[in-house]
Amino acid sequence: MPEIETKNFGSISYAPESIFEFPDGLPGFEERRRFLPVQNPSAAPILFLQSLEDPGLCFTTLPIWVVDPQYRLRITEQDLEILGFPANRQPRIGSEVLCLAVLSIRPSGTTANLLAPVVVNLKTYKAVQAVSPESDYSHQHPLFPEGAAAC
Amino acid sequence: MLIMSRRQGETILIGNDIEIVIAHIGRSRVKVGIRAPRETMVVAQEVKMVGEENRAAAQAPSPAVLQILLSQLLPEAHTFPAADDEGDVRQDAGDKN
Repeated sequence: MPEIETKNFGSISYAPESIFEFPDGLPGFEERRRFLPVQNPSAAPILFLQSLEDPGLCFTTLPIWVVDPQYRLRITEQDLEILGFPANRQPRIGSEVLCLAVLSIRPSGTTANLLAPVVVNLKTYKAVQAVSPESDYSHQHPLFPEGAAAC
Repeated sequence: MLIMSRRQGETILIGNDIEIVIAHIGRSRVKVGIRAPRETMVVAQEVKMVGEENRAAAQAPSPAVLQILLSQLLPEAHTFPAADDEGDVRQDAGDKN
């Protein structure tokens, strides 16, 4: 199995078929197309997305339903096309797509980006960060609204 | 801010090489066509906001910060079901969702 060097996890080996492929990158990281989902059992349910192209680039994510059990997808037609789904309906979280909220961990508190979830087609592993302008979700949804800070 | 009224199909010019066409007016949304030089960045404001948020989110937390985050996430951490393998880092297709 191929191996990569990473800043956070040292050297890790991976199965090439488990790579998430973002054909257009992510906003702010348009040139970063391939990410490896990394799960450390002691950090469950957190899932890290480690860039294969930049050892220092790693997003910290949570399954969206951990953040908001009522979360509803509002993926644009353009993003549905990238994912390979028909434009007339939203894919089902869990059975058709994996849906992850990217966390921002700041001294003032941890927030989850619900405006733009990472959505992965579970059959093809094609992925997008689906910015959903028609949703009312925030890009800085407080994870612990009672005011506790993570660092 | 300059405010202009335009009908469907009408155009606004910005400078010499940017053209904005009101392509379709719906009940709550308008479709706007934009013709601009390749080097001009054209994105919805939300996409720029998400890009800035991604840059703030692009580093994994230190182990200490991660522990605090996990303890907030799972106050009853020790009752969380044990993972199914030996505890080193493994990569996963993400079937947890």
